[in-house]
Amino acid sequence: MSTEVNNMIENKNLSDTERIKQASDGLRGTLAETLLDELTGAIGEDDKSLVKFHGMYQQDDRDRREERAAKKLERLWSFMIRLRIPGGLLTPEQYIALHHIAGENSTGTIKITTRQTIQLHGLLKHRVKPTISAFNAAGLDSISACGDVNRNVTCAAHPMQSAIHEQVHSYAARISRMLLPKTKAYYEIWLDQEKLTDKKEEEDPLYQDRYLPRKFKIGIGIPPNNEVDVLTNDLGLIAVINNDRLEGFNVAIGGGLGATHGNPDTYPRLATVIGFVPADDDRLFKTIYEIITIQRDYGNRSDRKLSRLKYTLDRLGADWYKQELTRRTGFELEPPRPYFFNERKDLYGWQQNHQGLWYYTPFIENGRILDDEKLALKTALFEIAQTGKANFRFTTNQGLILADIRKKDKNLVNGILEKFGILAHTETASAIRKNSIACVALPTCPLALAEGQRYLPTLIGHIEVLLAAHDLSNEEMIIRMTGCPNGCGRPYAAEIGFVGTAPGRYNLYLGGDHEGTRLNRLYKENLDEAAILRELGLLFWLYKKERITGERFGDFAFRQRWYKI
Amino acid sequence: MLTTPKMNMMKELIAGSSREELIWLSGYLAGVVAQGPGAVSAPAAVAAPQSTAAEPSAAPLRITIAYGTETGNAKRLATDFAARAKKKGIQAKLVGLEQYRLGDLTKEEYLLTVISTQGDGEPPAAAKKFYDHIHQNGLRLDRLKYGVLALGDTAYPLFCKAGEDVDQQLQKIGGQRLLSLQKCDTDYESEASKWFDSVLQQLNHAPTLAAAPVVIAKPHTKKTYTGAILTNTNLNDHGSGKQTWHLEIEAEGVEYQPGDSLGIVPENPAVLVEAIIALTGADANQLLPHRSEEWPLAHLLRRRLNIVYLPERVVKKYAGIVQQDIPETKIGLLDLLKIYPVHDTRQFHAVVAILEPLAPRLYSISSSPEAHPGEIHLTVARDRFAVNGETKFGLCSDGLSQLTPGQTIEFYIHPNSQFRLPAPDTDIIMIGPGTGIAPFRSFIAERDSRGSQGKNWLFFGDRRFTTDFLYQTEIQDWAMTGVLTRVNTAFSRDQKEKVYVQHRMRQNATELFAWLQSGAHVFVCGAKQPMSVDVEDTLLSIIQKEGNKNAAQAQAYLDELKETGRYVKDVY
Repeated sequence: MSTEVNNMIENKNLSDTERIKQASDGLRGTLAETLLDELTGAIGEDDKSLVKFHGMYQQDDRDRREERAAKKLERLWSFMIRLRIPGGLLTPEQYIALHHIAGENSTGTIKITTRQTIQLHGLLKHRVKPTISAFNAAGLDSISACGDVNRNVTCAAHPMQSAIHEQVHSYAARISRMLLPKTKAYYEIWLDQEKLTDKKEEEDPLYQDRYLPRKFKIGIGIPPNNEVDVLTNDLGLIAVINNDRLEGFNVAIGGGLGATHGNPDTYPRLATVIGFVPADDDRLFKTIYEIITIQRDYGNRSDRKLSRLKYTLDRLGADWYKQELTRRTGFELEPPRPYFFNERKDLYGWQQNHQGLWYYTPFIENGRILDDEKLALKTALFEIAQTGKANFRFTTNQGLILADIRKKDKNLVNGILEKFGILAHTETASAIRKNSIACVALPTCPLALAEGQRYLPTLIGHIEVLLAAHDLSNEEMIIRMTGCPNGCGRPYAAEIGFVGTAPGRYNLYLGGDHEGTRLNRLYKENLDEAAILRELGLLFWLYKKERITGERFGDFAFRQRWYKI
Repeated sequence: MLTTPKMNMMKELIAGSSREELIWLSGYLAGVVAQGPGAVSAPAAVAAPQSTAAEPSAAPLRITIAYGTETGNAKRLATDFAARAKKKGIQAKLVGLEQYRLGDLTKEEYLLTVISTQGDGEPPAAAKKFYDHIHQNGLRLDRLKYGVLALGDTAYPLFCKAGEDVDQQLQKIGGQRLLSLQKCDTDYESEASKWFDSVLQQLNHAPTLAAAPVVIAKPHTKKTYTGAILTNTNLNDHGSGKQTWHLEIEAEGVEYQPGDSLGIVPENPAVLVEAIIALTGADANQLLPHRSEEWPLAHLLRRRLNIVYLPERVVKKYAGIVQQDIPETKIGLLDLLKIYPVHDTRQFHAVVAILEPLAPRLYSISSSPEAHPGEIHLTVARDRFAVNGETKFGLCSDGLSQLTPGQTIEFYIHPNSQFRLPAPDTDIIMIGPGTGIAPFRSFIAERDSRGSQGKNWLFFGDRRFTTDFLYQTEIQDWAMTGVLTRVNTAFSRDQKEKVYVQHRMRQNATELFAWLQSGAHVFVCGAKQPMSVDVEDTLLSIIQKEGNKNAAQAQAYLDELKETGRYVKDVY
């Protein structure tokens, strides 16, 4: 008891969000009422925090603020809705539903996220309920896709990665189910289901009425490809597989990439491996559950910038966390098993798995599925979904795998890919372009300080020219950009990371490794495009001249100490 | 109660007084009564009303609360402050800095600014223009008393920089601080509230402004004014099928009342006039008679006569002059002249003589003399119609939509004595879809500025919520500060089935009838067909159903409302 008292953080000054959560009556707040407010396309002030737990963010088109203000119109409010798709797998029927819902209710663009799910932007307030209802009819929901709860559980996406991929992958959905909040608010508010008369059914031993101090991310990795970026999660599970048998998982905690400019108490962090748990359900699920309850009880609830598990872990120590975990589960973790990552990428083009099923990964820049003047990607994918011959598996690199295609159906799918030019589009995209990630940023993300997905494709074009000049075009460097320091696009786990500081300006981070086991570090601050290209030009020249054979750019940069001390 | 001589004196006094004098008298008498029984007989108080005029009708304090916000926090605070000030009887104008007309700054007496700071120390984008304006050379604000509440985040190096800058700059250019700058971190609520307590205290101790002298309204004549355009903004957003222009016109010294209209004589397009003169070979400067005056031909064609679409009766007369068979149709003068030419200038002059005068267009004024002194606002739909498959725009609305700040227009005030705000404590129901909102913006702003106690219920409708919600942010502010007791909106094209204001009325039938029963006045403004008809039918059916009446009784009830001036329409 005394350690608890000592270790409990001073949580007297609870953040506003804590007050809102606790007073929310099971995440209901005044959502039902403010949805009906005829004067505004926004919801209530406190409801903005609560709607996240239902998978939505209220946003506005920041490009349009001034002009609309002059027109005496309020901001162009809309909602972003993000689905909960553990492991990122949709049936073709579900994808067809998604395609239609996007067209009828949102901007039309289907955005694949860095957490293996999809989100739609630009839903007007009165279109939210029809959207959720249509998703529900397709067996999809957005519960806990945002908010201070366990978020979408990610898992290594490509079934090529292991003969027992399906077995490992199934844990994503099971973990997600175990960690769903018990409140029925989602069904009442959005799906008009009857109100519970007995509130006891909603009692939630895991989340109680305070939920978690902050978002909680879980990812499952299957070595040797770390495409899921397993160590960037609050809780990473690294599958330990021997002779096609799942022995269990190494458990890593305390990953997280968010930071705040000018706040030295915040920092990105990769997860620390604290032990191994065998693949027996009882022990595995208990371990996951109690890791979360410790964070629930000890996480910082007064300063949301310091509330992720990584800060709890660094404050109390990994040893303490393990002891407390043992106290709660009643057993000790085993020592970690050796694991090894040597790659971190989506497998583009056609691949075949051990069962003879075929997989095609098209190149989708920044995860945006839409038709533009160059490529009718959205129509192509819709046509493929309509054949009913391919599942849709999303990756954490904002990618998509047309999956589980039987040998006899491969030609049919390939024909559609060819007809729409997807094959050529994928083959001709450069290595760095295929390995890049950008977050949404402007104009809709309220946190953005600079452009993300609207600008990175252009910058990549300039970098391609630089690389070609140094004969480095085939290097699979990992380049990531975010419009703010919060890390949605995992820029700190890139070989070249860009983090927006102001319109047109970015901090440049270098020296992260290719496999995602070492973070990069700040190299130079507030660079504009010309300065970025000047710096990179010089660095590429040095890299070409002085690297050891096979040395990755991130490793070379680290060896050269290209970072601020 | 009064003896006959007293009664006669009073009647005489009332008969001889203007409306403004009567308002003053009622306030004065209330003040005398409030001073206690002794004061009633005090001869000085009765004998020298002028000297004590300021006492009972002391003008309330007017303050402006302006916010510059990125996240909405500053707006929320400012809105709260405005509501609190109003409760104290202070006339608080709430405005976002992005909408603040910079020219008003030199007229401000009390300005309270709530402003946040961006991460890089910059003011929010919404406040940029204001920020730049006060930093420009030569601006002096010597009559300004001000206070600044700065919002920021100590996590950033330049904490509350924008607020600091504004506070220092306002002092530099002559403003006097009401109280010192208050900087707030992310947990701003309690400090901000205390700051405003101090503001209220300061305002309390400050000498109240001298009472405005009693204004005697001049008799209304068709006096023509010339006013410069201050702003002209299309209120509809991109993607709307409509254009509704909000014009602000400089109108210093122009008197009008809420409910009045503005009369504008449109101008014919110069190119059209030139084409007609060129085609006929007539002398542009030739003086021709028109309504007992003589004007040069070009002036007549440009400013006095309808030449764009001639009605059938004029076309018929034209046919008589040129001795041709012309189908009776609406057609422009230029087309007529091209197809059925005149023989000579004399014949053309005969044609000019049969042309009808250009009719003035009337637009309901959407500003309030109290809330928008020195200016007049209009809400003008750019009229669009099809002629033989071609899109055409209404002559006057098209011209108005094209005006840019600095240009001037001629106008006169068209009083609308039927369409008047009732006594300040009487409830009103306003039904004004589309540009029908115009007089109600005036009503609400007027009641807001005067602090009238009557309840206000607005029904507004248009096509789409995101693009066509005219004056949305103003309506939101009025709803938040409680000036608008109720607002219902109907956007017809946001769902499969069309929804109009009358549907919203029906949905609120019980409440609406309760308002009628307790004496509310009903105003309708907007399209005569079909809106005002549908609204009236709906009113009747509400009265019938909610009042348990038969059709004849309901009609009688509505007729009674009409006769007593409680049901008024301004439809077109």
